[in-house]
Amino acid sequence: MLALDFLRLNDYTREVASQPDVVYGVIVNPAGMAISSYVDDTDALIKQLFRPAESKDIPKVLKTLENRDEVIHLQFPITHNTETLGRFLVGISRQSLQSEFYRQLIVQLAVLAAIVLFLSVAIHFVFRHNVLFPIRKLISAADDVGHGQFTRVETKSQDELGFLARAFNTMIEAIQRERAALHRQANFDALTSLPNRMMALDRIKLEISRAKRSSQRFAVFFIDLDNFKTVNDSLGHAVGDELLVAIGNRVQTVIRESDIVARLGGDEFVVLAPDIGNEIKAEELAERLIKAVSTPQELAGRKVVASGSVGIALYPDNGETVEDLMANADNAMYQAKSTRDGSAIFFTAEMNVRLRERMQMEQDLNLAAGLGQLTINFQPLFDTAGGRHHGAEVLLRWNHPEKGSISPATFIPLAEATGQIVAIGDWVLEQACRSWSAWHNAGIDPGFLAINVSRVQFRKRLSARIAELMSNYRIPSQALELEITESVLLDDHSQVAEELGSLRAAGLILSLDDFGTGYSSLSYLKRFRFDVLKIDRSFVNGLPDDRDDVLLVKAILAMAKGFDLKVVAEGVENQQQLSFLENQGCDRAQGFLLAKPMSEASYTDFLEERQIALIPPRLSAPLVQRTSSGSFT
Amino acid sequence: MKYLFIRERLAALTAQLTGLLRYQWPATLLWLTLAIMATPITHAADTPLIMGVFPRNKAVETTAMYTPLANYLSERLGRKVILATSRDFESFWKEVMERRYDIVHYNQYHYVNSAQAYKVVGYNQEFGKSAVAGAIYVRKDSGITSVSQLRGRTIVFGGGKDAMLSYIAPRFLLMQAGLREGEFSAKFAVSPPNALLALYHRQADAAGGGDILIDLPAVKNAINTQELTRLAATEPLLFLPWAVKRSMAPKLAESIQSILLELGDNETGKNVLKAAMTTGIGKASDKDYDPHRRMTTAVFGVQDTAK
Repeated sequence: MLALDFLRLNDYTREVASQPDVVYGVIVNPAGMAISSYVDDTDALIKQLFRPAESKDIPKVLKTLENRDEVIHLQFPITHNTETLGRFLVGISRQSLQSEFYRQLIVQLAVLAAIVLFLSVAIHFVFRHNVLFPIRKLISAADDVGHGQFTRVETKSQDELGFLARAFNTMIEAIQRERAALHRQANFDALTSLPNRMMALDRIKLEISRAKRSSQRFAVFFIDLDNFKTVNDSLGHAVGDELLVAIGNRVQTVIRESDIVARLGGDEFVVLAPDIGNEIKAEELAERLIKAVSTPQELAGRKVVASGSVGIALYPDNGETVEDLMANADNAMYQAKSTRDGSAIFFTAEMNVRLRERMQMEQDLNLAAGLGQLTINFQPLFDTAGGRHHGAEVLLRWNHPEKGSISPATFIPLAEATGQIVAIGDWVLEQACRSWSAWHNAGIDPGFLAINVSRVQFRKRLSARIAELMSNYRIPSQALELEITESVLLDDHSQVAEELGSLRAAGLILSLDDFGTGYSSLSYLKRFRFDVLKIDRSFVNGLPDDRDDVLLVKAILAMAKGFDLKVVAEGVENQQQLSFLENQGCDRAQGFLLAKPMSEASYTDFLEERQIALIPPRLSAPLVQRTSSGSFT
Repeated sequence: MKYLFIRERLAALTAQLTGLLRYQWPATLLWLTLAIMATPITHAADTPLIMGVFPRNKAVETTAMYTPLANYLSERLGRKVILATSRDFESFWKEVMERRYDIVHYNQYHYVNSAQAYKVVGYNQEFGKSAVAGAIYVRKDSGITSVSQLRGRTIVFGGGKDAMLSYIAPRFLLMQAGLREGEFSAKFAVSPPNALLALYHRQADAAGGGDILIDLPAVKNAINTQELTRLAATEPLLFLPWAVKRSMAPKLAESIQSILLELGDNETGKNVLKAAMTTGIGKASDKDYDPHRRMTTAVFGVQDTAK
């Protein structure tokens, strides 16, 4: 304005007024005269109010628009230093302004939405990179753990995820340690640190696969220490354990590097010898094993000499499965043990036949009771002096439909080995109780019944079962005598003592059967209280001519008297034997001379013939009578 | 190539010099003198020509308008022509005074004052006209009907005091009416059109400018020119001159004049004229600017200060 540059003023006015929402722009001098102006002829309001030529009349335009609400009137002073040069009048379309406002609002919202979207995407990627990826790694690592793979997770960050990853890694390390410990626990014997049964079976299985591929032979050696129980009993379990460790170590020194020795449990070891070649090599190894086992050991200040029996099974000759090889080696070992302690025997076809027979018998025996093939017989017992009848020993018989009568000496050990003796023994007990009850109810006094019980039954709470049967069949305690072999006493002393104590407390008579054939330890007689001692038939058989038998029987009778035990002689078959026993003070006898074992019906007839009356309840004098003080006489 | 040519020439000279020095040294000396004298001429022929244009527009606009002409001249002359722009009139005039330009385009007043150093060869034809008169405008409603009525009044001129049509010619009219400097109040608008706009907006009682000013679109679009009237006008004055340095070789000066005058004869030349926002260039001689010289002398006295 100072330079009178109206063209530039016009340019400025035009520029301002050309904005979308500006209706007019006018520069006026201090006198109010317009010196530069621009009116937007395209504006709807201007078109409505003015003809084209009229819009050039600025005073008229300003006057007309002055009171129109559609236009917002603004004015800005133009000054130079303190001098007022004029004013700049601007009319803004309210509608355009609103439209512009909304447009700007939409634009700003769009920009805001774009920013939010951008930030969301950015946050998503940051979250994905910093949170999701680490979590996915953790999930993947956790899945790996589930599949048995331990993958460590990188731990770079110091945030919660970093701590979680470190905790995860710590957990993995703990699991690995625990797993290693469990693996050791599951696969190694705690005492000898040798592989245990599980690992041995696993290795044999692997070796079968490998040998099958390479068409090679390998051998399984089953080692069982002879009379290890004696070592434990005589020297204590600690020495027994030391012996096992020493033998394990020694065996390791004689096997090849590729061989594996494992402890199966107790005094049993197994050696796996891959690629053994032929029987000669296996035999050589077996000899080394026997020698290693039998090498004297210095334990607890004492020299201990052990021996072991070895059974050998060859793959594929003696079996193509782990079960077959182990069973056959075990079988061969039993064969070796039964032949001679400290020997080694290869599994043979004959053993296999016997094994199959044994297995068949086991199956048959399992069904025998249910099929009525088992019966009980009764062999009466008498006073040696006077021949008075007192009762009978209950004898188990198995009438096999194909093989006929099978001796208890054959199937009882099998039943004990398989555990079937528990059910069979229980069946015998119940049958005996039922018979006694039937006789009693029929007014016949059967005397007492002597029933053999196995060591296996002793482990199954025998006293409780007998108490139950006595209660069920209302049998007085004096009516039952339990015959126990010395083998029972070899088991856990405390448990045996507890069971015997319970039986004695129930009033049952306890008889030590087959005395003289086993360990015949006098300490047993001292430790466990028995009422009756039965002399095995093998000692009676030579009486009265066999000097050894005579001396032995006399000694037993003398000792029994010392312990205040009644004595029963088994297997009395002639009068000389009976007379000798009577003369030596033997209390009672049983055998073919006096009476053969008989069926229940025959025994019933036997009892009726003897006309034993029912009243009083125990007419015949029991071998042992309970006194009022609770002791037996 | 040129450098190679000089080297060959020097080698030849050396060979000749060696021979001449041995037998004909006086003749050799003469030849050498002539060669040295000829060398500057050859050098001058290769020196670019400087074309100066007065800063009527911004330097950027000036460059856009006249670069095509400089290129055209370069091509036609076979010699580089460089366009030189100036920051302002003062620096431009300084270059003129020091004869820096070989070719110069400026206003009539500039030429009149530099005519001793430069010789006009052509003039701009604008709006299809070769000449324009200086004029004084007043508002129709002012009641002013003669120049003498402007005594004691305010008169606005466009541009500065060196503006031929906007100041010198109107001042000449005022002098003819007996109004000398001091007998009226002078204002200067930044450009001739603004002088008329200032008059229209009653910033002055009269405005000086070319008689075509009122018909310019920039003016007609800005104001209602019907409210203004031309109070007085001078005789037609030839438009803006194109001049060359008087020391320029006549043949070169003629070539330049010929090229400028023939611009309207071919398409390329027409495009050059269009870029320069002129309709053509007419032939002019120093005598054609005597009216301008007379008015300038009347207003400012004898000047022509170009060295």
